[in-house]
Amino acid sequence: MRLTSRSVQNTGIPTASMADIAFLLIIFFMVTISFEVDKTQVTLPKTDIRIEIPKQAAYVSVSPNGTIRVSNGEEISVFVPGPDEVLSFAAGVVQNDPSKPFVLKADQDVPYRYVDGVIDALKQAKAQVIYLLSNQETVDSAGAGGE
Amino acid sequence: MKIKKPKVSEEIPTSSMADIAFLLIVYFMVTTTFAATRGLDFSLPPEDDTPPMVEKEEAVLIDIQAGGIYLVDQKPMQLSEILEYLKPKLERNPKKPVIIRPQPNAEYGYMVKVFDELRQAEDKIGMKVENISIPTQREIDMFWF
Repeated sequence: MRLTSRSVQNTGIPTASMADIAFLLIIFFMVTISFEVDKTQVTLPKTDIRIEIPKQAAYVSVSPNGTIRVSNGEEISVFVPGPDEVLSFAAGVVQNDPSKPFVLKADQDVPYRYVDGVIDALKQAKAQVIYLLSNQETVDSAGAGGE
Repeated sequence: MKIKKPKVSEEIPTSSMADIAFLLIVYFMVTTTFAATRGLDFSLPPEDDTPPMVEKEEAVLIDIQAGGIYLVDQKPMQLSEILEYLKPKLERNPKKPVIIRPQPNAEYGYMVKVFDELRQAEDKIGMKVENISIPTQREIDMFWF
């Protein structure tokens, strides 16, 4: 009796669709990439309430050592020496768009006097709303709050 | 003599396409930063040069000191106790003003923690803290009495 030969199994990994998957991933990254206007490295405070910040909001960042940078939301942030310059910057932004939201991106450990100067400048510039940029509160961070 | 014509491939060479694609993926993965795009909103009242009509004695004053020490109406308190302290006061007066006053050397993060806690009042004690104020040092110097 003649035995039928066993079917030959393909030992290669099918890679025909790899390029398709790769291009899908590229398209995903290209669509979702957002260019940050401010790249100041800060440790943001953690909060439970986190509201979506409107796009094109103006940014004021305060680094751990109190360095202030500002951006109108369209251009890369620039260094400013102090709250007086924040006031003139914010006044210009509000003059162009009175409802422009501001984002305060400050390090959680920065002494409050630096933030106070910035908030005061934004208030004087008649800003309507400030978003205090934060990260998501987690169970671990809530427990280690040190309050 | 027979001259051999070189064979011209009629297909587009695609063997390196996957390599290029993966290089692009790696580039995007490395350069993509997941930016924080959420935060606490803090609406500012319209600028008014007249002094606010709130007397210090009427409001609940949350004093924040360096190292995360909270003094609520001069009493030391844990963050989690603040809303329980406020609850009876809000029941009597739902518009009770609450003033957050961080000391200049207190860390900013503790102010945000208090503000976040007050904003969660509706979930935690069933009452909203409607009147939260964070006066700046200039406003304190100008209007505090």
